[in-house]
Amino acid sequence: MSGLESYINHTVSIITADGRNFIGTLKGFDQTINIIIDECHERVFSTTSGIEQIVLGLHIIRGDNIAVIGLIDETIDSRLDLANIRGEPLGPVVH
Amino acid sequence: MLPLSLLKTAQSHPMLVELKNGETYNGHLVSCDSWMNINLRDVICTSKDGDRFWRMPECYIRGSTIKYLRIPDEVIDMVKEDAQAKSRNRTEMNKNRGGNSSQNQRGGGGGGRPGGGNRNNAGNRSGQGYGGGPSNNAMRLGGAAGQQGNRLPHAAKNNRK
Repeated sequence: MSGLESYINHTVSIITADGRNFIGTLKGFDQTINIIIDECHERVFSTTSGIEQIVLGLHIIRGDNIAVIGLIDETIDSRLDLANIRGEPLGPVVH
Repeated sequence: MLPLSLLKTAQSHPMLVELKNGETYNGHLVSCDSWMNINLRDVICTSKDGDRFWRMPECYIRGSTIKYLRIPDEVIDMVKEDAQAKSRNRTEMNKNRGGNSSQNQRGGGGGGRPGGGNRNNAGNRSGQGYGGGPSNNAMRLGGAAGQQGNRLPHAAKNNRK
């Protein structure tokens, strides 16, 4: 079925239609790409200070609001020095 | 695991719902359907900018307006139990075709009627378990989502009792 099956129980990065970035463990999804994300964190990007990580916990994100789901390589991700990475926050999807 | 099964398991638990328009709703989930339409009790609505609040005893939210739901961590473990209980029911049903444990006292009976009875019982157990009485009590006892507790009017607590 969907290519998402192989992402189950792996760390994923979700970019939502409002431009936010959520990181967490994919626990499930359905045909409309509603997803369950466990141990969800939001990474907030800023040009003036490092990436801020906000712990959120268990989330159901509605498929309508999802733009991208990416598989995270945890060994690379754990080497990132979030406090010293700067970047423009994403804008929302424009329809 | 399906998102909507998790949501169903979260019935009677507190949750935060963010809508596409940025408003958030904190409350206890009463019921949900396969479109993600939901009923909340003891709700606090927060405006998009987060500086205005409304308290309401209940509300109904159309699923298509939801951006995400934040639910308590422990609910994900309860889904597994739900699923196990369901499969246990299913195997019991198969074993006891023609009379399950609760109907055994009445004797085996003919195949037809008890068979129908089994199906109904299983439906009740798996389908309505969380919507029943206990969840209502839990909702009345539990406060409406503590996250903005410091900004809540104190009258809220008294009203709930």
